[in-house]
Amino acid sequence: MRNINQKEAFEILKKNKIHAVKTYAAKNEKELLKIFKDIRKPVALKIISEDIVHKSDSGCLKININDEKSAVSAYKEIINNAKKQKAKIEGILIQEMTKGNETIIGVKKDPQFGNVIAFGLGGIFVEVMKDVSLRVCPINKKDAEEMISEIKGKKILEGYRGGKPANKKDIIDILVKVSDMVEKNPKIMELDLNPVIVNEKSATVVDARILYE
Amino acid sequence: MSENMDRLDNLLNAKSIALIGASRDEKSVGYGILMNLTQGCAEKFYCNYSKPFQGSVFAVNPKADEILGKKCYKSILEINEEIDLGIIAVPAPAVISIVKDCIKKKVRALIVISSGFAEYNEEGKKMQKEISEIVKKAGIPLVGPNCLGILNPLNNMNASFAPGIPPAGGITFISQSGALADSIIDWSIEERYGFRAIVTYGNKADVDETDFLEYFGQDKDTKAIALYVEGINNGRKFMEVAKKVSKKKPVIILKSGRTEKGMHAVSSHTGSLAGSYEVYKAAFKQSGIIIADTVEELFDIAITLSNQPACGKNVGIITNAGGPGVLCADYCETIGLNVVGIKESTLQKLEKTGLMHPAYSRANPLDIVGDALPERYEAAINTLMAEPYIDGIIVIQTLQTMTDPLKDAEIVVAARKKFPDKPVLCVYMGGKFSKEGVRILKENGVPDFNDLKKAVSAMKFLSERKEWIDKK
Repeated sequence: MRNINQKEAFEILKKNKIHAVKTYAAKNEKELLKIFKDIRKPVALKIISEDIVHKSDSGCLKININDEKSAVSAYKEIINNAKKQKAKIEGILIQEMTKGNETIIGVKKDPQFGNVIAFGLGGIFVEVMKDVSLRVCPINKKDAEEMISEIKGKKILEGYRGGKPANKKDIIDILVKVSDMVEKNPKIMELDLNPVIVNEKSATVVDARILYE
Repeated sequence: MSENMDRLDNLLNAKSIALIGASRDEKSVGYGILMNLTQGCAEKFYCNYSKPFQGSVFAVNPKADEILGKKCYKSILEINEEIDLGIIAVPAPAVISIVKDCIKKKVRALIVISSGFAEYNEEGKKMQKEISEIVKKAGIPLVGPNCLGILNPLNNMNASFAPGIPPAGGITFISQSGALADSIIDWSIEERYGFRAIVTYGNKADVDETDFLEYFGQDKDTKAIALYVEGINNGRKFMEVAKKVSKKKPVIILKSGRTEKGMHAVSSHTGSLAGSYEVYKAAFKQSGIIIADTVEELFDIAITLSNQPACGKNVGIITNAGGPGVLCADYCETIGLNVVGIKESTLQKLEKTGLMHPAYSRANPLDIVGDALPERYEAAINTLMAEPYIDGIIVIQTLQTMTDPLKDAEIVVAARKKFPDKPVLCVYMGGKFSKEGVRILKENGVPDFNDLKKAVSAMKFLSERKEWIDKK
């Protein structure tokens, strides 16, 4: 089993029409700057490597980059940090940044039921409160809607203290497409879309980890 | 009828049964089963429901001539008549050769009571696998090993070592645990609650919960299916069958092995893998299965759903006691039921009867005051039941000097018959002097609960049931 790299992961999402943040890959500084010129700022830079799972912990993720100078220094820093871990480096990912609430969509294989899809709010909600809803795949729109309404923290997505409600339709769309994708590809053993950023306009996958057989 | 239906029919509706391992030892399983087949129950557990099996019974024991008046055959192969069902209660190491004999005899179905298989050790696991392969090849269904057996009160078949046979009724209980079934039988005899069938399947070398669920899903006598499950092997298949069955009739489940310690206990009990309870819950929900938390709740729900129609969320509460009415309203709102506001037009109808107390609440909960006589209950119940905006009612009764629990019960029963599309649940709060009223309610299919919260929870299950039936 292997974790496919971020670049491949985003390509798979794109192929399955799962809405993800605009993502480009660069192999060197020159390519980075060329992409940087046209992309909406600020951006995030991430290492492309199968060996690094926790990118922020290992200094392989830099965010809120607005100008060329910081882009180049962030690039160097990430490559250095990755080298320190003796990781196989396949380049750098450049992504637009998006604001909103963090949610998580995951898939695991259950020995009795097969693919099981999970939805929850990101951060402490999932880790501490275990506030997730589950369904056995495949799911339809109605199931996805129920998954969203089942989590205890659903009020956060409905908009509170004057905030606007999150685009539920987009979350439902991602949930259903992810479910269809894993059912069609039995080789996907595990999947983690974390975070999926949701706001009033859309739901967008910002980071993806896919484990292949 | 599907292949599965045909196969399992030989188990439930056998006309001739052979017990291999019939025993003279009164304390043994082999004696208990023969007793159950010939009398319906163990001698000391005799009751009105105990009757001998309607078909023919043959005893097999190479060492005995006669047990309980039954001639003993040395082997099943010595029996001249055709045998529909073979029950095997011999020590584990002897089971394989007996199974082979039964197949030779062209027995149509088998139950293996004996333990000492996958739940016990590696050798047992191997033997179980071999048995499973043998019967699959022969194409006959086998229940067990390591199970209690099967009971079918409709033809007085007690093919088990349970203490007795329960009254006949609409609930089918499919249980991985045998002892749980035993305790339910004793309880049902006391409470006079009826079963269509009780089947236990233990280690499920061949027939499993999904096969039984499919069978009883199509069985016209089964009104509701209650399941006790430790582990399910093929989750997807189970869901597929459950989805179809639950559209037709209520399916309620109690799953054990929810914690790490519990999961470990499961593997030594029936050799199953318990799996993640959170995933099971999701799967059950998706399949329209209602999840019970306790044994009591499993049967509370089964009894309610098999007797009362599914309904919406707008509940009316009728009470002769203020405090319990308020509590009941609290429980309803907390659980997600709507204590619906009573319309002015309804109040006018109530007042027109001339039976309301001047200080009655004029709101939901409808408190008809402590001195309510049966006539006032009757007026309140009939008025609320007739309102289209009220989906179901809960009737609370506490005892005051003038209260008439028997008459009140008869009124509820009459209303239930008059409004067959709406559920009515009762909470007769009390004990000794409420008992006879409770009996009348239960005998007429009106569930009564000793606590408000349980009644509210039952009402919630009726509304969940409706949501599932309506779900596209």
